[in-house]
Amino acid sequence: MSHPHPVCRELEPDLLAVATGEAAPAAAERIEGHVARCRPCREELRHYRAIEGLVGALRRAPLPGDDATLARAELESRLADLRRRLVSFGIFPSPLGPMLIARSELGVSLVRYLGGTGSVASEARRLLGEEAIEDRAAPEALYAELVEYLEGRRTRLDWPLDLRGARSDFQRRVLDATAQLPYGAVASYAGIARRIGAPAAARPVAQALRWNPLPIAIPCHRVIGSSGALVGYAGKRVALKQRLLAIEGVRTLPARGDFRVRREAMYALHVGDSEYCLPTCGSLASRPLSELMLFGSRERAEAAGLAPCTTCRPDLHPLSA
Amino acid sequence: MARVMAEDAFEAVVGAHHAEIRRYVLRITARAGDADDLSQETFLRALRAHRSLPPGANVRAWLFAIATNLCRNHFRAQTRRRRTYAAAALDRSEMDAAWPEGEVLAGEARARIERVVAGLPVKQRLAFTMRKMHDLDYGAIGASLQCSEESARAHVFQALRKIRRGLDGLIPVRTESQP
Repeated sequence: MSHPHPVCRELEPDLLAVATGEAAPAAAERIEGHVARCRPCREELRHYRAIEGLVGALRRAPLPGDDATLARAELESRLADLRRRLVSFGIFPSPLGPMLIARSELGVSLVRYLGGTGSVASEARRLLGEEAIEDRAAPEALYAELVEYLEGRRTRLDWPLDLRGARSDFQRRVLDATAQLPYGAVASYAGIARRIGAPAAARPVAQALRWNPLPIAIPCHRVIGSSGALVGYAGKRVALKQRLLAIEGVRTLPARGDFRVRREAMYALHVGDSEYCLPTCGSLASRPLSELMLFGSRERAEAAGLAPCTTCRPDLHPLSA
Repeated sequence: MARVMAEDAFEAVVGAHHAEIRRYVLRITARAGDADDLSQETFLRALRAHRSLPPGANVRAWLFAIATNLCRNHFRAQTRRRRTYAAAALDRSEMDAAWPEGEVLAGEARARIERVVAGLPVKQRLAFTMRKMHDLDYGAIGASLQCSEESARAHVFQALRKIRRGLDGLIPVRTESQP
C-alpha cells in the first residue's frame, strides 16, 4: 500500500476481503466506517473492486488453446490402456491360509497362497507390479464364492479369467484344458497333454500347471500323476491338493510323503465317451490313466453330464463307499 | 460387479471435469501441449487412486490437487532444465519496465493482469487461478498446495496486491467531490 498509516496497514487485509466479497460482516462494517473517513483507503478499495471486475472479465474471456476435444480423445485411449493393466487385489483369510486374489478389468488374474516370509503386502506388490491397487472391494465377491467352494457349498467358480499373464501359448492351452475338468474329477498330466494334442508333453504340462496363476479357479489340483499319486501342488503344498480333492469328494490315501487316489475305488470315464463306468468295466482297468477321467462319486459324474454305462451299470452296482 | 461400477463412476468424473482441469492447467502453463499432457496425467493418476477415495469426497477439489501437484513438479523440472542449460531466464523486472503506461483500456488492463499473474511465484499463481478463475474455496486450495486455509488466502491476497501494483496508472484516478 502506498500510504503507511498503521491503522490503514492493519485494516488492509480486511479491505481486500471486502473488495473480493469475502469479508465477515464485522470486518465489512469496520472497513465501511474506515473508508468513509480515509480517502486513500477509499481509493484503494475502488482499485481492488475494479480489479475484481477485470479479473471476472478475464475469467469469462475466451482462453486461447481452450479446446479439449483432441486431448479428451487421447485421454480416453490412455485410460482404456491403463484400465487393461490395472489390477485390484485383496488379501483374505481362508482355511488354506492368507490368499491373495487379484482381478483386472477382464477377470480374475491372480490367485495366490501367501505365507512366505516378509509382509504379504510387499509380496503382493512383487507379484503384481506397481500398477496394482489394494482394494478388497473389487475381489470381495470372488472371495465370497471361494469361501463357499472351500466349505463345500459351491461346485462351480464361473469367474471371468484374465490369462494375459500366461507364460506362453502352450501354458494357456494347458490352463484352458485344465479349466474344463469338472468338479470332483481327476485326470493325469499325460491326459491333459493328450487333450491339447501334445501327448508326449506330460512333463511340460506339469511345469505349466506348476505356474498356474489361478489355482482353484483353474483346478490344477484335479491333475495328478499317471500312477495316481498327487505329485505336487503350489510348490510343496501337496497336502493342500489332498484337501481340495477331499472337499470335492475325491478320497486319497497317504503314500510315502505324498497321497494317491485309489483308481479301483473310483468311477471312470474313457475320454471321449459320454457314459461313466465302474473301474472294472471292459478293458478300463488296464487303460493308462491318461485316457481316463476319474470321479469320486456317481453324483459328481452325473453332475458333469455323464450317464451311467449301460453295460456295467454303475447305477445298479455302485461302488461301496 | 463393484469394480465395473467404480469404472462407470470414473467415466462420469472424466466427463464432468476434464475440460475444466485442462483449462486450469492451460491457464497455469499457458501452453496447450503442457495442458494436454498434465491434464492427461492428472486423470491417469486419478484412475489409479479413484477407488481409495472415500465416498462423498469432493472429487473436483481432489482433481485440482492432483493437477496442482503436477504443475508444481512441471515448473520445478523446468527450473532445473533452465539452470542446467543456462537458458535465458524470464527477467520479470525487464518485463515490468516494458509495460506501456497510462492506458486505460480494459483489454490492456486484462493483458497486464495476465502478465502479472504469469510472473507470480508459482504458489501464488496457482492459488490465484484456483480461487479467481475456478472458484475453489480456500480449504480446497490449501489442500492442493499442502498449506493451511489461511496461507491459501494469503497467497491469493498477495497476488491481488501485486496485480494492484502492476495496474498502477491503468485504473483512472477518480476525482472525488465528496470529502
